[in-house]
Amino acid sequence: MKHLKPLNNKAKKLEEAVQQDRLEEVVAMTSVAGCTSTTDPGWETDVFGGVASLCQPMEADLYGCSDPCWWPAQVPDMMSTYPDWNKHAADSGADWRQLGSVFPKDK
Amino acid sequence: MRFTTPLSRALLAAALASAASLSAAADGPLQAGHEYLAVTNYPNNLTVIDTGTDSIVKTCTLPDAFGPGTIQISPDRTRAYVLNNHYGDLYGVDLDSCKTVFHAELAEAGNERARAMFSVGLSPDGKEIYSVVNPTKLNRDSYEVQAPRLQVYRTDGGLDAKPVRTFAAPRQTTMLQAADDGSLFIVGADIYRMNAQTGKYDVAVPLRNWKRPLHGQPDVLYVWPQQRPQHTFNLLYTADRFKDEKKDPASAQTMYGYIDIDLKTGTAAVRDFAPVTEVYFTGGLSPKDPNAMYGVLNRLAKYDVKNEKLVEAAPLDHSYYCLSFNREGSKLYLAGTFNTVAVYDADTLKKLKDIRVPGGDMAITTAQMFTR
Repeated sequence: MKHLKPLNNKAKKLEEAVQQDRLEEVVAMTSVAGCTSTTDPGWETDVFGGVASLCQPMEADLYGCSDPCWWPAQVPDMMSTYPDWNKHAADSGADWRQLGSVFPKDK
Repeated sequence: MRFTTPLSRALLAAALASAASLSAAADGPLQAGHEYLAVTNYPNNLTVIDTGTDSIVKTCTLPDAFGPGTIQISPDRTRAYVLNNHYGDLYGVDLDSCKTVFHAELAEAGNERARAMFSVGLSPDGKEIYSVVNPTKLNRDSYEVQAPRLQVYRTDGGLDAKPVRTFAAPRQTTMLQAADDGSLFIVGADIYRMNAQTGKYDVAVPLRNWKRPLHGQPDVLYVWPQQRPQHTFNLLYTADRFKDEKKDPASAQTMYGYIDIDLKTGTAAVRDFAPVTEVYFTGGLSPKDPNAMYGVLNRLAKYDVKNEKLVEAAPLDHSYYCLSFNREGSKLYLAGTFNTVAVYDADTLKKLKDIRVPGGDMAITTAQMFTR
């Protein structure tokens, strides 16, 4: 850390924590399925790098992924952050047009 | 008014048909000796299908929110327990009346949020319900991940049940199932077996840490704790099988395999059944032919386990996640994803029927087959 200089408050806090020996052990998330704790492919490509083993149509996999917060970059996290995302689209095959993009709320 | 014209006869027929389907949706007791399939779906329904007629006998509306809708049927077949409300609560529904008779919020009071990742199971006597819960403390300025816990509830705990026992649980686990001796098989990096009275656990079936000759580490994706007719707890894995001790990945064959835990004896069979050519999300051995293995996702496939060969594969009109067997092993029921349960002949893999369940997508539900 000798040649690195903290530029913002968060970095300064990290440096203080290191100096005060308050850094905790980093552990992987407790959940193995869901919220970015998995690096399984399966949205753009399947495990073989192709498309044949992707769910078909894509909507068949939609709520199976948004429910447990799988690949939150591609589908909204319905477990905690956007639980009502499909409120008007219980039937994804028929009502996918009712699904919208999500944006973080201003804090 | 006399119903003589074709139009009025058609209207009368339509009125009678819709009255009949309404009464099918109404509450009424299930019949002894009948076999049923229970599924859950959006917006928040539980539908019961009679496999004798492959028709819907009732649809119950569940409280709060849907997700994942993982079902476990009580040993006496009177209740369906469901992990729901965005993975945060357990519910018990009386299958005859559709009344909610049990509810437990998994988070402890205060600033905790807790989620169970497909983790719900029942004791063999139906008196207890189990879930491994992943808690997070929501502090004012930070979230603090807590250690996972097994929470044990009494099923007569009512609508605001609290845990009667809590134990430290292994990290990164998903589904669990109770064996006949009351111990819990919990699937994680390895499959653990936990004493539900003392919380003591050890590895029952190694996965990540298996020392299987000529096999690489397995990959497991299985979040459907299905109650099989054979009274087993099963899941699929994929793993590289090497030609020889040199373990050259270039000449390895990636194999699909199953792990079948006999819940009566506690013993596990771990066996490759075919080279991987496509992805399956669920699968299982035929109740009537222990050499026939089935898998489903984009196709419904049947394998000869002994010869590790594909016997037959049927194209599907869309992906299905969840494969169930009737107790005879003569029919396969495909559930999950959209809102149609597809019924297939287990021998010919010909489609027999589509059963449209009221409501929307079943998504990642665990369907359960049971006989009252």
